[in-house]
Amino acid sequence: MRWWREYFTRNGVGLGLFLLLAVLVWAVLMIVLPQLFMLDFSLRANVPPPLWGTESHGYTLEHYAYLVRGSGNTASGFNTVDLAVFGRTILAAVFVTLVDLCLCYPVAYYLAHVASGSRARLMVMALIVPFWVNELLRAFAFKVLFGSGGVINDVLLGLGILDQPYDFVRENIALYSGLSYAYILLMIFPIYNAIESLDRNQIEAARDLGASWWRIHRRVVIPHAKPGISSGCTIVFMLSAGALAAPQVLGGPSSLWFTQLIYKAFNNSANWARGSAYAIVLLIACLAFVLLVMRVFKVRFGEIAK
Amino acid sequence: MSSDRLGRAFGTVFVLMFFLYLFGPLIVMSVSAFNSSAFPRVSPWECFTVEWFAALADDGRLLQGLRNSVFIGVGVVCLAVPLGLAGALLLTQVRERARPWYYTLVVSPILVPGVVLGISTLLFWDRVARMFGLTRDSIFYDGFFLTIVGQSTFIAAYTMLVFISRLQRFETVQEEAALDLGATHWQSFRKILLPFLKPAIGSAAVLAFLASFENYNTTVFTAISTNTLTKELASKVRYGIDPSISALAVTIIVLTLIGAAVHEVLRRRESARADHGVALAADPTRPPLAQKPWFLDTALILIVLVVIAGAGTVFMAGTLGVEECKAQVLDDKRARNAERTEALRERNRLRDERRAAEAAERTTNTGDDETTPTRDAETDDAPAAERGARPGTGNFEGIFGGGLAPESDEPAAPDAPPAEPAGEELPARPGTGNFEGVFGRDLAPGAGADEDDR
Repeated sequence: MRWWREYFTRNGVGLGLFLLLAVLVWAVLMIVLPQLFMLDFSLRANVPPPLWGTESHGYTLEHYAYLVRGSGNTASGFNTVDLAVFGRTILAAVFVTLVDLCLCYPVAYYLAHVASGSRARLMVMALIVPFWVNELLRAFAFKVLFGSGGVINDVLLGLGILDQPYDFVRENIALYSGLSYAYILLMIFPIYNAIESLDRNQIEAARDLGASWWRIHRRVVIPHAKPGISSGCTIVFMLSAGALAAPQVLGGPSSLWFTQLIYKAFNNSANWARGSAYAIVLLIACLAFVLLVMRVFKVRFGEIAK
Repeated sequence: MSSDRLGRAFGTVFVLMFFLYLFGPLIVMSVSAFNSSAFPRVSPWECFTVEWFAALADDGRLLQGLRNSVFIGVGVVCLAVPLGLAGALLLTQVRERARPWYYTLVVSPILVPGVVLGISTLLFWDRVARMFGLTRDSIFYDGFFLTIVGQSTFIAAYTMLVFISRLQRFETVQEEAALDLGATHWQSFRKILLPFLKPAIGSAAVLAFLASFENYNTTVFTAISTNTLTKELASKVRYGIDPSISALAVTIIVLTLIGAAVHEVLRRRESARADHGVALAADPTRPPLAQKPWFLDTALILIVLVVIAGAGTVFMAGTLGVEECKAQVLDDKRARNAERTEALRERNRLRDERRAAEAAERTTNTGDDETTPTRDAETDDAPAAERGARPGTGNFEGIFGGGLAPESDEPAAPDAPPAEPAGEELPARPGTGNFEGVFGRDLAPGAGADEDDR
């Protein structure tokens, strides 16, 4: 009660009401309720839209069961196809995250502590420019690069390393490079921000005391950059696992991304309920990863979502 | 220390490689926009052309998508910026204990996959419409409304982060002073807080617009039948058989570069003015700031150079005679192809002769000459199929694809640009390419089955 009185004395009635209303609309109508309704929808039978809300639209676990068991006619009794897609998506997203971390940490360090003023600013701008190019176009660039008549194949053929074009797309190499490329900026900036706030003198002191560069990074820089690293990893993982554009453009013909299964359930099979169930599974996987990162790096949620 | 220098050199090389990785793909794609080859590629280089830019300007669906995307972007700015501002202002006032919970809640959309946000928005408003007994013609099932709401869910979180970082430097004393002096709450908000937040509002609006403009994951579910730029782009890019996409990318990259340069100019002037202000406060006798004439600014010069280069490119393409060059390339291809066909024929003829000779030998030996004609037919068919089958299939599939599913968003196997390397050298190739480009883009011959029957 006291809080409310203070709140309205501080903001005035009009502004105070506006703030409350706006946040209420955002938090409840846009964030919480849609997720809950999606969960509810995913637990209901798949019936045509006119029957939604009627009795035949009852509760069932069949869509989650379908992810695990399939239609029940498979030899193994499991939906090996969809489960394999899910597993591969998660593993590949972890892989992409690790690759990005290895690529970005040195660059972020260089940017924060080696490059000087104007050069660092130029580099930051150079990092941002590719990021404003649409995600789809970035994936397309990789297609031009990796296609059967693409530059990389031409170069490798020209150098005599290959004697016939290598199908990078079928082997998913194009997809993994495209994904690592797509979200690289979201790995660099959190790490850069964290490392930049490190006092240079700490590095100097460690060096003067005879620490090797590896030890300096392990004991001084990385502990300091931990919030940045965890934040970058979380975001890159989430975006890779939830990517739709790059897998659609660069994915091999026989391999799907989990989001593509969701997309298919909505657009091709018209099975929205199954699509929602799969979306819930994806959401849970992403949340689990966030929690894992929080546990491993011992950071709080607020530090991740900075 | 030599190891230190070695480390530094290694670091520099690493960073250089990194930037090569960053720009290489974009450069290759940009270059492919100027190659007249019907497939986006850099080698073999055919003719220098700007025709793909013209093709881009003629693409009605793409332009329609662009208009829709701009409209949606403006809508998102109007919704997400106030929401983010409210979220940030409330954050400072929520009770200490509830603050982490509140923060977690409003920031969580950033960590939720865009696909999930799109689906949940679609389902939620559909349900709301049903609660009010509305049909699917209502606003709650409208692509624009759903996309604006769906995108704002997470874009508001972005803008909120922008406002939070600005608000951290705000001194509430100013507001309190204004209230003590008799200002109303609204006045103090409008005269003190808003002016202080003005730069943040600007950058939040730009961020919101750009984030909305290039969003695909959420939009693809919420836009329903509305055509946005990214949706249109996706359906083009997935089959990647047209360099006009590269042309679009070049346009976007150039605009980005110009934007970055303008931003840099403004920022520099701002900081120069600020520096001058500080210096002036310390030493009031200082002469007024000598502003460099605007045309001497490096970044501006860069912009002008880019524009000149662009104009020069167009001019050159006009004068160099693209058509002649293309005719030349086509002739070359024909000649090469004829040569190859000739060689094949020759080889087959030799083989046939040899077989005939062998068969004749065998006939004389065993009196059985059944095998010869069938073998003949086989060897004749092989090159004919190689030459003729591709264009035929291409047209056929093209027509079917156009008739059956011009709108369908079949996630077909994207790595089988139909007829690509195999049909490439054939004289009939340009025709095939066009057909497939116009009608058949929703079909990925050969590979589609792989996925759909899964």
